[in-house]
Amino acid sequence: MGAQMILSVACGIALLLMCAAFFLAAWRVIKGPTLPDRIVALDTLTAIAIGFIAVIAIRTGFNLYIDIAIALGLVGFLATVAFARFVLSQGMQPGEAAAPEETAADARARRGGGHARRLR
Amino acid sequence: MRPAVIIAVFTLVWLAVSGSFTIPNLVLGIAAAALSLLLVRGHIQPDGRRLRPLKALSLLALFLRELALSAWKVAVLVVRPKMDLKPGIFAFPLTVDRDFEITLLANLITLTPGTLSVDVSEDRKTLYVHALDCSDPAGARRDIANGFEKKILEAFR
Amino acid sequence: MLDLVLALVVGVMLVAGGVFTFLAALGILRLPDVYTRMHAASKAGTVGSGLMLLAAGIHSLDIAIFTRALAGFVFFVLTAPVAAHLVAKAAHAAGYRLSRLAVMDDMRASRKHAAKKR
Repeated sequence: MGAQMILSVACGIALLLMCAAFFLAAWRVIKGPTLPDRIVALDTLTAIAIGFIAVIAIRTGFNLYIDIAIALGLVGFLATVAFARFVLSQGMQPGEAAAPEETAADARARRGGGHARRLR
Repeated sequence: MRPAVIIAVFTLVWLAVSGSFTIPNLVLGIAAAALSLLLVRGHIQPDGRRLRPLKALSLLALFLRELALSAWKVAVLVVRPKMDLKPGIFAFPLTVDRDFEITLLANLITLTPGTLSVDVSEDRKTLYVHALDCSDPAGARRDIANGFEKKILEAFR
Repeated sequence: MLDLVLALVVGVMLVAGGVFTFLAALGILRLPDVYTRMHAASKAGTVGSGLMLLAAGIHSLDIAIFTRALAGFVFFVLTAPVAAHLVAKAAHAAGYRLSRLAVMDDMRASRKHAAKKR
């Protein structure tokens, strides 16, 4: 009886933490401000989803969920790699700030740098 | 590594993933490993690299310890109300020169406390490392050179 | 008795994994730029989800399923730094800069140097 209770309490705590983590990461995805930020946040969302699946595997005792979690990890990794290739080929978007708290001088320097890169 | 060793490692991974330790599954694993090795044979060159199992195991132990420590340190940093960050990218001169060793070192650096490898220079002599606390780049370089790089050299040379 | 110990181990691993995952998400929200955020995601996030997967593997009490969970854990640990490295490299090459807190950027300096030489 005791063992069952420990497990269900631990599952409850873990689910609560994952829920909070999910909202935090989702907020970063919405807020941005840059594409790489969103990619990193999406990668974390995948990790959180894997955690969810693991907890559900323990709760239901249905071990096939573990295979699902591994498959999700694989797909998530491939998605991140594809996103990284996209950032590399696309370059920085014109409207995107280079850093969250950028000054006008920084922006000028960046535009200069971007120009030089295009020349190369 | 020799092809036979790679096939053995692949087969072990196959057995672990498929989770059934029977003779037919073993044969299937060897076949799958050989087939996948055949597909990428153009991209790997067998060299006379030796692997010292004991040293490699000690590298693995160091790695697991550093991984736990780094997750802990990031966790502590994040919950602190005022984060004292001095982030920066420093250049690390590489002593290891083979692709496999550079890859391993870069992966190990990423999973150690406060450091993340960003890029390798085109001549493969410099590794660019992003650090959360970049106030002492010389010390960080020394730590990597005396820690992981030395272990990698011991394990694979 | 063994039941209790097993439940304790699994429970502790679950809660620890949950805490690490939560802190990874918190780090992604709090840290100033994409490079520092990557630290939180690639370390705490990997350890968090890996611990929970291992907990599920132990809970099953089946060696086949445990090795599968272990293989999954190793896979996550191997791919997380690769993904972080790729995103960091792509972001830096695309021109996303470090936050203003940054004290140095050797990579940018060397790139400027190379551009000047050309």
